[in-house]
Amino acid sequence: MRLILAFTKEQNMRFVSHLDMQRLFQRAMRRAHLPLAYSQGFNPHPLLSFAAALALGTASDCEYLDVMLTEAVEPDEAMQALNKTLPQGVHVIKAVDAGDAKLSLTSLMRSAAYEVTICFDAEIGADKLCNTMDELLTGEIVVLKNTKSGIKNVDIRPMVISAHIEATGKNTAKLSLKGALTASGGLNVELFLCAYFEKLGMNGVCEVRRRSIEMDQTVIKL
Amino acid sequence: MDTELLERILHDVEKPARYIGGEVNMRIKAVENGKLLRFALCFPDVYEIGMSHLGSRIIYNVLNEREDTYCERSFTPWPDMEKAMRENGIPLYSLETKTPLGAFDVVGFALLYEMGYSNVLTMLELAGLPLFSAQRDETMPLVMAGGPCVCNAEPVADIFDFFVFGDGEEVMNDVMDIIAECKAAGNDRHMLLLRLAQVAGVYVPAFYRSEYKDGSFIGHTKLEEAAPDTVERRVVQDLDSAGYTGDLIVPYLNIVHDRIALEVFRGCTRGCRFCQAGYIYRPVRERKPETIIEQADSSLDCTGYDEISVFSLSSGDYSHIHELVPQILERYEHDRVSVSLPSLRIDSFLKDDLEHIQRIRKTGLTFAPEAGTQRLRDVINKGVSEDDLLRAVRDAFEAGWHGVKLYFMIGLPTETDEDVLGIAELARKVSQEFYSMPRELRGKGLRCTVSASTFVPKPFTPFQWEPQISVDEVLRRQALLRNALKGIRGVEFSCHFSETSRLEAAFARGDRRLCKVLVSAHRHGARFDSWDEHFNKPAWEEAFAENGLTVEGFANRSIGQDEALPWSVMDPIVSHEFLAEERKKAYSGQITRDCRKGCNGCFGTRAAEFCSFEGAERT
Repeated sequence: MRLILAFTKEQNMRFVSHLDMQRLFQRAMRRAHLPLAYSQGFNPHPLLSFAAALALGTASDCEYLDVMLTEAVEPDEAMQALNKTLPQGVHVIKAVDAGDAKLSLTSLMRSAAYEVTICFDAEIGADKLCNTMDELLTGEIVVLKNTKSGIKNVDIRPMVISAHIEATGKNTAKLSLKGALTASGGLNVELFLCAYFEKLGMNGVCEVRRRSIEMDQTVIKL
Repeated sequence: MDTELLERILHDVEKPARYIGGEVNMRIKAVENGKLLRFALCFPDVYEIGMSHLGSRIIYNVLNEREDTYCERSFTPWPDMEKAMRENGIPLYSLETKTPLGAFDVVGFALLYEMGYSNVLTMLELAGLPLFSAQRDETMPLVMAGGPCVCNAEPVADIFDFFVFGDGEEVMNDVMDIIAECKAAGNDRHMLLLRLAQVAGVYVPAFYRSEYKDGSFIGHTKLEEAAPDTVERRVVQDLDSAGYTGDLIVPYLNIVHDRIALEVFRGCTRGCRFCQAGYIYRPVRERKPETIIEQADSSLDCTGYDEISVFSLSSGDYSHIHELVPQILERYEHDRVSVSLPSLRIDSFLKDDLEHIQRIRKTGLTFAPEAGTQRLRDVINKGVSEDDLLRAVRDAFEAGWHGVKLYFMIGLPTETDEDVLGIAELARKVSQEFYSMPRELRGKGLRCTVSASTFVPKPFTPFQWEPQISVDEVLRRQALLRNALKGIRGVEFSCHFSETSRLEAAFARGDRRLCKVLVSAHRHGARFDSWDEHFNKPAWEEAFAENGLTVEGFANRSIGQDEALPWSVMDPIVSHEFLAEERKKAYSGQITRDCRKGCNGCFGTRAAEFCSFEGAERT
């Protein structure tokens, strides 16, 4: 059986890396006595995968996880069993039987929405915040990016779907950001924020939260 | 504790999961009413190392089983986190409740290796506590330590208020009982320490003064009548009823030993003469297979781990090993639990066990012949032969392994170049063993790692009087071996950094004059000394120079057998006479039998009191 789970990752759990989350869910499923299916081969491992990686330090309201089981289980019961044993900060909010669907979760992803709370080092006007964002979005956004073939200049503007910023205080702001997120890559929120801060000529501290991942729902209804 | 500030800095440090706590099975207790005794269990290394220490896991559970005590954990922050904490004024805190260490009743360290000492100071300083016990007042926590380094606590004697010597399960309860009573009675620290000093296994260093003459240690003078002349090591007689780990904390990070450790017995009967653990955990005490299976059941259930390690100093010697391993594998085969057997002796396992282990997953195989020639293996009483080793690797290769690690030591007493070259000869034979097998029967390509560490003489071993060889000599012998290993098919060489081995030797056998050296080194930036990339050689050189001492004066010195030993205030139960006799036998290449085969009298007249090992005849 292919079981798809949607879960939240928040509080201190945002400091647990993507790789560590793999182990965390594997162990939680064993504690919850879910019948995990394993790969064949030299070092068998559970068939468990996430739709998308989440950057270390980023919280999320909705991540997706895909797991193969050797026997059918009631999705809601699996969810309850898992929630009893998961650490605080990780919580399953939905469990779905994927039926015969073969496509990977990653291939179904389209985009993701983020909310960024920003605390600037100094006071800043609401107009400047918005105008700078408009300016940033009108042209290319060229950033330095680590790629397999070394550090390169990359234009990330095509990855940005929308970005709205509003001041929430004298030196605080909230950014609603929507970016591409597909199997071939996605918007790097941190790089986008760097480009914005550079254009503003300011520094600050950010908390990023992924609000949702938009998926193609025609194949698997989530 | 400003948790918002803490969270902010966690965005900027490597592996922030080291600092968050909140793992599955972490103990949670209500602290608001202020009635609990608060104990901060500290490990002077990074989280992934500290969480791999079975002893700390046991003590964590033993203390938390007490209704009056809450034991929380703290580890050394990695230098990036230390810097961030200092810059932001965040004190060292416990993972459980994020309480600054200064607010605890007791701060207790596990001392497993001398190279962790500088991290103890880092942690105390980050906690805002003065480094020397004499500078800490009544409002501050008691600072104590346990673990194998307590064998010779003198190099850190001025740092700690007290030490516990030996198995911790019982003595920690005795200690907490007294602390609880004294706290309730409003006793001052001196009174408390006086009472603690009367508990068997507790060492209060301030109650003894070290005496020196002409730059050498000549003995201790007892300053408090109530303190014992020597501190007797604590021995838990019945491991089946002793506390164990309880519900194991499940770390987020991939820690070094990320599996369930089932301790099948404590102690070792072999009597390798270089091995401190072989003497200070005597006598052998086994757990019953039923107890072990019970612990396996509950640990697997509460953690979700899929790997069990059968743990001891020499697991192949466990009386029931050939029943236990298949039993575990069978019992949990459906759950895909694999078993690893670290510390297997070459001469102790059967091919069948290997095949069992292989059924689930291939783990690495490590063999420790320790020395390259039979002559030297007899000197150190490592009762294995070349045939044993070759048979063992052949079995392993036939069972499909193609990676083996061979552990050796360089600089053992009486070692000659012939012994060093003998290591290469052994490696050559292992390689030949592999490549002489039919191609279709053997694994891909041989990966045989020859690892040579530097011998460090340790207290309470027959070699406690021996000098360590000089750094130049270590380097020469390493080069000799590296050269001799060249061109042997499938063999790689790795060796240990010689400077840290020398420092380890100095602190292993040092006296209280090293306390000031340690503090100086800390001020000059020494931390994480066991990590080669952090080892700060200039800091240590300056520290010794400032205090008018040399590292060679401690590490490379041969101690006369009639000289006073700084660690003689500790009583390991194994008799001084026995160790001296073993030393003599070493020089004549005489073997001492495994004490499962008959008592060798290591406890002298106290055998009946301490050793109930079955089959051990009394002498």
